[in-house]
Amino acid sequence: MNVLLLIILAVLATAGRVIGLVILSIITGWFLAYASIKSKFFENAYIIMIEIFESVPVITFFPIVLVIFIARIGGPLGVELAGDFLVFTAVVWNIWMGEYQAFKTVPNEMVEVAENSNFSLFQKLRYLYIPFSVPRIAANLFPSVSDGFFYITVSEVFVVGIHTYQSFGVGSVLNTFVANANNTAIEETLMVLAIVISIIVLILREFSRYAVSRYTLDNDAPILKRGRLNMKQTARAFSVLSKNPLSRLATYYKYREADKHEDKYEKTVKRKKYLKYVYASMGIIILALILYSSVSLIISVKSSEWYILFSKTPSLLVGLGYDYLRVGSILLVSMIIAIFLGYYLAVNKRAEYAGIPTIQIVSAYPAPIYFPFLFIFTEPFIFSIFGGFTNELYVLGLGFVSTFYYVLYSFWMGVKAMPSEYWEITKNLNMGFFKKMRKVVIPSTFPYLISGVSSTINSAWGGLMIGEYWPHIYGTHTLYVHTGLMKTIDLSTSSGNIALAAWGSLIFGIIVAIYSVMFTRKMMDLAQKKYVAEEGVYSA
Amino acid sequence: MVEEIQIGNQLNSEPVLSAENINFSYDNGYKVFENINIEAGKGKVIAIIGPSGIGKSTLLRILGGFLKPDSGDVKLMGRKLNMPIPEVALIHQSIVTFPWMTAEDNVKLAMKTKRMTGDQIEEKAKESLARVGLDGFEELYPKEMSGGMRQRVAIARAFAADPYVFLMDEPFAHLDELTAEGLRQDIYNILFSGETPLKSVILVSHNLTEVLELSDEIYILNGIPASVVGKVNVTMKRPRNPRNDEFNANLDMLYNYLTPPRKREEVKKK
Ligand SMILES: Nc1ncnc2c1ncn2[C@@H]1O[C@H](COP(=O)(O)OP(=O)(O)OP(=O)(O)O)[C@@H](O)[C@H]1O
Ligand SMILES: [Mg+2]
Repeated sequence: MNVLLLIILAVLATAGRVIGLVILSIITGWFLAYASIKSKFFENAYIIMIEIFESVPVITFFPIVLVIFIARIGGPLGVELAGDFLVFTAVVWNIWMGEYQAFKTVPNEMVEVAENSNFSLFQKLRYLYIPFSVPRIAANLFPSVSDGFFYITVSEVFVVGIHTYQSFGVGSVLNTFVANANNTAIEETLMVLAIVISIIVLILREFSRYAVSRYTLDNDAPILKRGRLNMKQTARAFSVLSKNPLSRLATYYKYREADKHEDKYEKTVKRKKYLKYVYASMGIIILALILYSSVSLIISVKSSEWYILFSKTPSLLVGLGYDYLRVGSILLVSMIIAIFLGYYLAVNKRAEYAGIPTIQIVSAYPAPIYFPFLFIFTEPFIFSIFGGFTNELYVLGLGFVSTFYYVLYSFWMGVKAMPSEYWEITKNLNMGFFKKMRKVVIPSTFPYLISGVSSTINSAWGGLMIGEYWPHIYGTHTLYVHTGLMKTIDLSTSSGNIALAAWGSLIFGIIVAIYSVMFTRKMMDLAQKKYVAEEGVYSA
Repeated sequence: MVEEIQIGNQLNSEPVLSAENINFSYDNGYKVFENINIEAGKGKVIAIIGPSGIGKSTLLRILGGFLKPDSGDVKLMGRKLNMPIPEVALIHQSIVTFPWMTAEDNVKLAMKTKRMTGDQIEEKAKESLARVGLDGFEELYPKEMSGGMRQRVAIARAFAADPYVFLMDEPFAHLDELTAEGLRQDIYNILFSGETPLKSVILVSHNLTEVLELSDEIYILNGIPASVVGKVNVTMKRPRNPRNDEFNANLDMLYNYLTPPRKREEVKKK
């Protein structure tokens, strides 16, 4: 078969998976969002589920998922579905949360217009809720698609114990080319992928622009009603602003508090009582599924194995400590770069014009694909300087390239959204760069910064998961760190010790979920007190 | 205690929409209304006035079946109304148009659940838009329109449902004075033209000139919880011209009646 054709097909297969799964998320999200605005019970179950899953990088659970899919379904279909499932879980929470919040913030007046005309459920969705959710979906598409690409390429080739699982796509094709040292084919693959990703990103940009111009509300309906600042509306506007799942999750809490009136108000309007039970039972099913899978996992482990797992827990926690340090350093570097570069891009029209699309394309280009090649070319040089610290540096580097865009991008958005009065003030007071940053720019972009930070933290875990133990990154060379929880999980996966991998992921999941929800919410509270800017969000 | 004054002669007619002994609290426990009684007669414009935050918008929502009163009934031509229906059309205080649809599609929304063919719907939508002076603007999106035009789209949408009753919540507040004046006259003419099934209008407004110009009866809400503390019957002949002396004399009377300390003297008919 013609190699180029094969490459093109592989890239299209990968892109098709990502896009198909994004579309699946969007469609399912509409119904789930509708159910959750109609039933408090369903809403609570649904939100808890999203909160838990979106704060844990699902890649850590992938070995288990893979094993379950292979065991239950088996064959190429099982591998395919396992990979799809992984990507689905990478893209879905963002989108579901966005749709939920969109549905939740449809102005009551518009709902009343629909009620006034006695709209059926489908008419309400079609004419009101779905169109209303379009800008929010558009805002979430970009991060979702790039996350999807990130994970799909690693999910296309996977080693568990002695088995290698592959599904057709750019990841597996590239794997073969690397094994055969077919350099031309490798270059062509990288090129074709770059072209396809660029096209997708440019289309998404156009779509966002269109979605915002067409589907956002006209200014005088929400946000400011008759001159007085309405806390509830402000919280809503705020939640529209934040692009990242965690921050939105945190905001959700803010406005759920502020929104109590609204909720109750809605309740008095509600008429179709029986639907409530339908939605409530859907909620129960979700909870039951979560419970079932955890219980069945726990039962499948023998008691002697439990003993081993418990005795290993302290060292797992130490590994987690190391990983937090890694995430912290990645974050620090990303933030410093974001603040300078983001500011520069935001105030410099020409740099922005070229810079932003470039950053978007680069960030959608999956790091796991190009990183090995970066590694081959730079390793000798880096090693000559850093010696034994080289591997660690590369792992941090992988974490960094797979993640720093988020904080950069958010910060840029924040600067763009600053009201022009602020700029005038800084000019008036003749502030220097650092003073301007400290007194005006950072405080007024704080919510954006926080939302970028939590995305960055989330994706950094994905990067570490891949980097901390990367067998045969090229030739016989294996990239690995000395200590790290991600490494332990990776190692136990590839040696087939699924119980340990699962236990490690579980501990990780619990701690990360608790930590990120608390962290983000705290920071969001802080951000809201200082919150100022509301417009210009969609300038992207 | 309901105080009634009279401006002009009172005419009796059967109620189209009525609310009887309405009590209402929001779920947070805030009691908005106590024993509200309102009647909207055939061919009448009923105005509801009262201070900001007293519950005027809430009352319209109760009258439209959007909110359920704790006790008391809302009746449309004698039949209990317990959910929103197209026959009682609410026009909101904030302008509500769907930004992703053209003017015409916005108007068509009102007919989605009616048994009408596509052609009939189209024709009706055009007709409604023409009625509010928007013929030729069917394909514009709300973002391409002024606030006044958008409010007219909202009104056209309400018309397209062929309602018996209009519930209008500060419908002209967002419009400039000239547009508002034109639209007030239009609405009034439509109400009495007999070309539509519209029988009655309930209007909430802060603007006393507007209220006096349009309405036949004025209900005054006040107190916490709010109740009807006064009712004014206006029977000045129509069309009323806000710029003539008679109108202004009556407007003064209304002002005096509303502003404390009230002039308690009976207002004589003019
Ligand atoms: N969903 C709600 N839950 C609880 N209280 C509410 C709700 N909506 C309105 N209220 C309260 O009910 C009262 C009446 O509100 P409403 O909007 O009906 O007033 P209004 O007379 O229309 O005011 P305005 O003239 O400013 O439009 C206000 O005190 C308001 O705070
Ligand atoms: Mg009101």
